[in-house]
Amino acid sequence: MSEPSIFFAEVNERQGVFHRRAFLLGGFVGVGVLALGGRLAHLQLIETQRYEKLSASNQFNFKMTPPPRGLIVDRNGVVLASNRPNFRLMVAKDKGIDPQSTLKTLAEFVPLDDARQTRLLREISNAPRKSPVQIMEDMSWEQFSAINIRAPELPGVTADMGEVRVYPYGGAFAHVIGYVAKVNRSDLTTTGPNADPILLNPGFRIGRQGVEQAFDLVLRGKPGAQKVEVDASGHEVSTDPAGDIKAIPGKEIVLTLDADIQNRAMEVFGDQSGAAVMMDCRNGDILCLFSGPSFDANRFVRGLTGAEYAALAQYERKPLFNKALTATYPPGSTFKTIVALAALENGYDPRTVHVCNRAWAWGGRVWHCDKAHGALDLTGGIAHSCDIYFYQCALTLGPDKIAKVAREFGLGEIFDIGIPGQKPGLVPDTAYKRRAFKKDPVWHPGETPSMGIGQGYTHLNPLQLCVQAARLANGRKALHPRLIRSIGGVAQPSGAAFGDLPFARQNIDFVRAAMAAVTTVGTAAGLGDMGLGDIKMAGKSGTAQAFNYSTGHGVHGTQGEWKYRDHAWFIAFAPYDDPRYAVSVLVEHGGFGAGAAAPRAREILRVALLKDPEIRARVEKPLPIPEPPPVSSDPDVVDPPTPDPAQQVPAQ
Amino acid sequence: MTVSALTRPGERDRLIVKIGEIDWIFCLTLCLIAGAGAVMLFSIAGSSWTPWAAAHLMRFALFFAIMIVLSLIDLRVWFALAYPIYGMGFLLLIAVDLVGHHALGAQRWLQAGPVTIQPSEIMKIGLVLALGRFYHGLSGKSAQLSWWLLIPAILIVAPVALVAKEPDLGTAILMLLTGAVMVVLAGLSWRVIAAGVVGATVMAPLVYFFAMHDYQRQRITTFLNPEADPSGAGYHTLQSSIAIGSGGLLGKGYGLGSQSQLNFLPEKQTDFIFATLAEEFGFVGCAAILVLYAAVIFMALRTAYLSHSHFGRLAAAGVTATFALYVLINGSMVMGLAPVVGVPMPLLSYGGTVMLTVMVGFGLVMAVRVHRYSEVTSGKGSLL
Repeated sequence: MSEPSIFFAEVNERQGVFHRRAFLLGGFVGVGVLALGGRLAHLQLIETQRYEKLSASNQFNFKMTPPPRGLIVDRNGVVLASNRPNFRLMVAKDKGIDPQSTLKTLAEFVPLDDARQTRLLREISNAPRKSPVQIMEDMSWEQFSAINIRAPELPGVTADMGEVRVYPYGGAFAHVIGYVAKVNRSDLTTTGPNADPILLNPGFRIGRQGVEQAFDLVLRGKPGAQKVEVDASGHEVSTDPAGDIKAIPGKEIVLTLDADIQNRAMEVFGDQSGAAVMMDCRNGDILCLFSGPSFDANRFVRGLTGAEYAALAQYERKPLFNKALTATYPPGSTFKTIVALAALENGYDPRTVHVCNRAWAWGGRVWHCDKAHGALDLTGGIAHSCDIYFYQCALTLGPDKIAKVAREFGLGEIFDIGIPGQKPGLVPDTAYKRRAFKKDPVWHPGETPSMGIGQGYTHLNPLQLCVQAARLANGRKALHPRLIRSIGGVAQPSGAAFGDLPFARQNIDFVRAAMAAVTTVGTAAGLGDMGLGDIKMAGKSGTAQAFNYSTGHGVHGTQGEWKYRDHAWFIAFAPYDDPRYAVSVLVEHGGFGAGAAAPRAREILRVALLKDPEIRARVEKPLPIPEPPPVSSDPDVVDPPTPDPAQQVPAQ
Repeated sequence: MTVSALTRPGERDRLIVKIGEIDWIFCLTLCLIAGAGAVMLFSIAGSSWTPWAAAHLMRFALFFAIMIVLSLIDLRVWFALAYPIYGMGFLLLIAVDLVGHHALGAQRWLQAGPVTIQPSEIMKIGLVLALGRFYHGLSGKSAQLSWWLLIPAILIVAPVALVAKEPDLGTAILMLLTGAVMVVLAGLSWRVIAAGVVGATVMAPLVYFFAMHDYQRQRITTFLNPEADPSGAGYHTLQSSIAIGSGGLLGKGYGLGSQSQLNFLPEKQTDFIFATLAEEFGFVGCAAILVLYAAVIFMALRTAYLSHSHFGRLAAAGVTATFALYVLINGSMVMGLAPVVGVPMPLLSYGGTVMLTVMVGFGLVMAVRVHRYSEVTSGKGSLL
């Protein structure tokens, strides 16, 4: 550019100042632009990796995909706990989302009354930001699709399909399997398995009680993740299946229970309170572990209302209580089998006869029996359950010898069956007396007769009595109960691998024979015939006093107020000649053992026996193929068409 | 033929000569920046001309034509209109204060039928013209330090106060700084400048605590510590830095900026368009745009340098200062070097008002260039 020199020659002070300062201004601007460039270089060339990461974490979210919870099945693969699809509705807490108006809008699609809205609003305001709160579960397909269509206009609202636990048999297994329920604040820990973020996933449920609780981690599985591209308001833009991490499903747990037997147990109990436990007396598998009345575990999954829970908790028959494990009762006359064996082991002559006149004076007081049995030997004493016989029998032994035998039968013991909640109960002896009664640490002889008939301090749970029945039935092995057959395909140790009983075989056989007498001529006469041909049941009834009669509360039999009646017990095994199944039945306040408990035990045993193919074959006893008539030369006999003898031989 | 100081009188007033005198390289640079803006707006809208890119280009074409027309207007006309424009702007600012249109908690617009008028924009040009005219008539000595300087002080402070009250802190700062630059260029004594700098430093905390709105204070605290509340007040700054930083050297590619495409970047089509550009075209693209802006500023400043009239010099320098301040303030804001104030990147950002102001300003700059040899207040054709 050829600018004339006159430009600079102009004598103008203002222009000179302007030119110098304009240079300065240019300089400042230049510095400013360079500073911007420097900052750009810093952000884009030096720190770019850091910002790339931030950008990617903006752009992509990993959405947790909960793993399907492991199934719980019975020994035959019948599903006892599974998962069903569940259409859920959730609202996320985020800025720009007004939960109140969102809920108002949602109320047009799903039933949400004001009280529920208020509760949800509180839940949403307590939730961490961007974490969705479950508004509704189990929406119908119509509700689900109506909301999904409107979803773009409803920021923060998502409707998705999750899974929820379902127990097809409702109440029958509720105590064994337990249930899953919403995660409480107290479940969340900072360390350990429950620090898992999966617990915060809406709709996640944690195992409570029984197998669900004891094997919660095994059943839970490992959550996966879905890679989704999201925009600034958290809406999903697209998914990236290649970036997904697969969820690992929870392991399947196979129980030793048999659904048919368990369901039959529930049926025969009706609204009666009590427990039924059945074991396979060859290997210790628990086939039935029922406590009644029960409750519908599915309602706990959904969440109980306060009123529903109160109704269950306050019912006097205590449905929430697992009576098979957690409740202990005096074993009553079932304990006479133990006393008898203890006596035999200690050289007691089973032919010893005691005479029962309904009352027996000893030790300065009168001891009663429920009727006058007359003269009885040991077998008769067991069969007719004569208290007076066993008062005296027990006195020949003393508490320690009885307790030793009782413990060999697993009484007072807690077994490792995988689920919590067993109460050990108590088998008393002199050591116990010393330990527990500081003021009166001596076992008085007057306490022995009560122990001889399964009253007094003795308290046992139905599982222990079933173990006792199974060990008696087995006769040899100290069977342990097993509830968990396999976890994720790995078999659990069998209950038969625990050594032998330290008793003489003939003594056990004697007691077993006496138990057979119980169901043929004794207290439960007639119940030994199961209607299954020559398959017979042997057992022992027990009627355990719940309240002392002398105080005026206790009631014998089925009269009077329910809660004061006696507990009814029955322990049994079948077939008598080749024992396979042992059972213990307790009917709380059921009256007489032979009346309330024995028929139920018989019913439950029948199901087990009928399901056993070998027993079935024995029962059905196919007609033997008729002997081919001997080839006779008698001309009076009309010859049937003669079969080929070569084919006939194998038929014989 | 090249026009010079010695060119025959009358020759310079011919239209064809005037058009030839327009700095076409300067015009081309403006077109490149506005074109880059349209390219980015097309990308942000998801490869669509609507709603921004087409409107941006059409506006620019219209305003470019206005700029050319304005550049042909004799500098004496600009000079004569300086105070009237300033006065009209001032009256409109008062009108805004009284009956203005409320939007987003601020009162910045006047609605006149279909036309929305933002008086503060008129005032940006008016202030430059008025200061230029005032100093044109002031001796160099008086410009250093004299009682006369109360007049430019009032000329600056009165509209700035009105704009700040709207409130429009960005524009107020811009006008205050533009006015200050012009006063300095006009020859203010260095001692006064030093005193002013010291005074401003002292005043800053007072302004912060007593004259600012809560949201303005929060913006400053956020700027000083953006990570304190990354999802709240610091969100703009943080997301903008992420967009720029994740662009890297070459960018994520056209249309592939996840920050802007997925709405993480707020105001992506207006104030934060530079961050979008940085994300998709990287350091290379940003540097190119910065070079274009620098070129515009230096060409405009050179025009001021070449002017023979004091009015022309100051007016062109004032417009240049405004433009440079726009670029520097927006750039600093987007890159996290300054608090978030509503100042767009001129010509790149979507928005007609600022583009019109800038293009009218450049019309004045070009008028100064075309009429750089003209006498403004004496000689043939003087209007006053």
